[in-house]
Amino acid sequence: MLKNDLILKSPAEKTIGTKNITGGQFGAVLSRAGVGKTGFLVQIALTRLLSDEKVLHISLADTIEKINIRYNEGYASLIDSIGYVDAQVAERLWDEIRHHKTGIAYNDSTFNVNKIRDYLNSFKGADLPLPTLMVIDGLNFDTDLSEVLSDLKRLNQDFGICIWFSMQSHREEPLNQNGYPVQLENYDELFDKAVFLVTAENKTQAIVLKDGDRADQKLLLDPATLMPAEE
Amino acid sequence: MIRDLERVRNIGISAHIDSGKTTLTERILFYTNRIHKINEVRGKDGTGAVMDSMELEKERGITIASAATHCEWNNHAINIIDTPGHVDFTVEVERSLRVLDGVVLVLCSVSGVQSQSITVDQQMKRYEVPCIAFVNKCDRSGANPLKVCKQLRDKLGHNSVMLQLPIGLEDKHQGVIDLVKMKAYYFEGDNGERMVEADIPAELKDDAEAAREEMIDAVSLFSEELTDAILEEAEITEELIMGAVRTGTIRREMTPVFLGSAYKNKAVQPLLNAVINYLPCPLDIKNEAMDMDNNEETVILESDFNKPTVALAFKLEDGQYGQLTYIRVYQGCVSKGDTLINARDHKKVKIGRLIRMHSNQMEDVEAVPAGHIGAMFGIDCASGDTFVSPNINYSMLAMHVMEPVISLSITPKDNKAQINMSKALNRFTKEAPTFKTYVDHETGDTIIQGMGELHLEVYVERMKREYNAEVATGQPRVAYRETITQRAPFNYTHKKQTGGAGQFGRVSGFIEPSEEEFEFVNKVTGGRIPTQYIPACEKGFQACLAKGPSLEFPVTGIKITLEDGAYHAVDSSEMAFQAAARGGFLEAYKKAKPVIMEPIMKVVIETPNEFQGSCMGLINQRRGIIQGSQEEGTMSVIESQVPLSDMFGFSTILRSATQGKAQFTMEFSLYKQAPQSVAEEIAKKKAEEKAAKNK
Repeated sequence: MLKNDLILKSPAEKTIGTKNITGGQFGAVLSRAGVGKTGFLVQIALTRLLSDEKVLHISLADTIEKINIRYNEGYASLIDSIGYVDAQVAERLWDEIRHHKTGIAYNDSTFNVNKIRDYLNSFKGADLPLPTLMVIDGLNFDTDLSEVLSDLKRLNQDFGICIWFSMQSHREEPLNQNGYPVQLENYDELFDKAVFLVTAENKTQAIVLKDGDRADQKLLLDPATLMPAEE
Repeated sequence: MIRDLERVRNIGISAHIDSGKTTLTERILFYTNRIHKINEVRGKDGTGAVMDSMELEKERGITIASAATHCEWNNHAINIIDTPGHVDFTVEVERSLRVLDGVVLVLCSVSGVQSQSITVDQQMKRYEVPCIAFVNKCDRSGANPLKVCKQLRDKLGHNSVMLQLPIGLEDKHQGVIDLVKMKAYYFEGDNGERMVEADIPAELKDDAEAAREEMIDAVSLFSEELTDAILEEAEITEELIMGAVRTGTIRREMTPVFLGSAYKNKAVQPLLNAVINYLPCPLDIKNEAMDMDNNEETVILESDFNKPTVALAFKLEDGQYGQLTYIRVYQGCVSKGDTLINARDHKKVKIGRLIRMHSNQMEDVEAVPAGHIGAMFGIDCASGDTFVSPNINYSMLAMHVMEPVISLSITPKDNKAQINMSKALNRFTKEAPTFKTYVDHETGDTIIQGMGELHLEVYVERMKREYNAEVATGQPRVAYRETITQRAPFNYTHKKQTGGAGQFGRVSGFIEPSEEEFEFVNKVTGGRIPTQYIPACEKGFQACLAKGPSLEFPVTGIKITLEDGAYHAVDSSEMAFQAAARGGFLEAYKKAKPVIMEPIMKVVIETPNEFQGSCMGLINQRRGIIQGSQEEGTMSVIESQVPLSDMFGFSTILRSATQGKAQFTMEFSLYKQAPQSVAEEIAKKKAEEKAAKNK
């Protein structure tokens, strides 16, 4: 099964493990600007799409076109990592799964949890399967997000939807004693999963900061594709 | 009539519904002295704008049919085609684009590039029509022409360059700054008819200088002289800039952007100047036809009045004096008394009365020369026909026409309505290639087919108003299709011996899914089926496709390979092989796992942000797939794909869910396999209908 093969190749599977992706409530992918938070979030989302589940991708930074491009690229990287997939088969599979992703692009100022709640309610109203994963990319964790996060927590409980965030850290800020950036430390109790991406020589290293059974696991990634780097 | 073609412009005004293009056209006609009073669209005086020539258009405040009109500005002749904005009528837009040399793309300065602007833009690309943009409604709250210019770049990929800057926006919008002349323009008088030139206000001077520099930088790509002048720091003349803009525009490599407010009578005159300065004249455009006597070879038409005539009928209208046929003459000259040939049926036509239209008023002319648009009376033809001189046999290229996706049965209320309905249907089918009609022989119902619910509604309405034909309509029906999903063999012998000559034919081969609508491959060797019977086999197979064996929907996407067979020297005939092919098809079809395909529409909703969630919910409830939602200012744009069968009555539902603040466009996207539950539902309905018929 191509779907399973692709999931097994995913950097998300190799670090946190697919069962842990939707197993929790809040997850975070942390890194400094430009290291690959969104790309990694897309890889997390792709594992759900490949499991025939629905994904809601909310971006406060990218346009819809850009979100779609990121998914196309993420999928292409996964396909390339296998290396022997017939282009037509790959395209057919992508046609099949990409429709399970809904992208919503908000402005920073218009992001509102109630709108998402309305949208998720409509799934219930129409008796449709709910998305299992929501990605929120671009929330500014340097500001006070306690209200937004508590609204999202309620969403997580009411709809059983696991939410993964991108969280930007800064070069000049020291890590805490657990090795967490300050942004995660501020909301430590809310997050049960966290992956920290750092640059290591000419590679990207994914470090699992928080997780049930995989904490402290490390994996080297190709910085261009975010696929596991060849040893 | 102006014969110097450099002083002729054939332009269209194209845009999203409600961008104000009808108002803009009205103003153009007013400033060019074609009308002497300004009416508003949906005006309080109840008259409606002049370009909305159909009653229905006046009532709905939308433009349905293209009205051609002629006006003159600065010694130039401008023929304007007002194109419809609603996506259901895109064939009309496409038909107008076919005959135009340039387009003014009207955009709303508040809502900017909307989904339909994207559709219209794609059509402009298809017909390679150069365009200039007019950012209208700068007087509205939230107006932001710079944002719209950027959207033109980001969303439509235009190399958009501002040639003007606004003097004030929203309720403070007073006029524009011309960045070529570096002057400010204000519009005075009751209807803004006096254009007053003044110095640029001091507070805007720096912005204007910066914008001019940016503009010159962008347009210098299209003129070496201008580049040289910049490098040598020589004087940059207006002519140099205008020449470069014109070159870039005609090459479709840049889109100059103008702005104003048609409704408030601001900056329409500079736009008219821009039409003349930057949009192409007929001589700038290469027009092609196919030489039907020479293997459909492409021939280039020349705007030469003395060459044999080639003219295209692009629009028909039924007036009080009979059929009015709008033509664009590409070569030669159509004159009163001429005899031309209709290239489609080779029938001779004699040109009687020739006119030039100004919306619903007409002016008689002696001739319509190459490069011009006119209309002829009393010629029986269809839209898209080519008229040529008797010594040539050219046809203009076929237009890209989409297949209808929705049908509706109509029943005349009485005998009189029956007669009028036939007349109306006859006219409509000639007028619009996307409107089709036929009689269902089983039910006896007349069926009309079109591109959407609104499309058909408008025709039903027109039947009533223009032809006095009251009709009752049935439920709209979706044009489902059947196809197969796997390969299946057939080996069928048709054998009959019931007195007289017998019938014998055997066919063997396989059917399989295909990307094409229908493919037939003959692999029979050794004369197992004599060559003369092969076409009969193909015909037999093809006959089965019109009505699928399971649910009687047309079968598409099928490839039939005939490999073997047998014949009888006496009993085989074309009829026998046709029957054998039918038998073979039926035998294989069931084994090939047939499925129902349903039309999926691309639905784009534009809604205020507060209704985004509920609009996305509406799509979810309709088996729709949301591809994305983007917030732009106060509005959200939701793109989705929804099965057509679930879109009936959507406009009412959307209105009530959003207090009438959201709008949507819908166009055919693709055919997709219907889910099992839906297929079962369709099959059940079909069975019920059959049972009812047999009662």
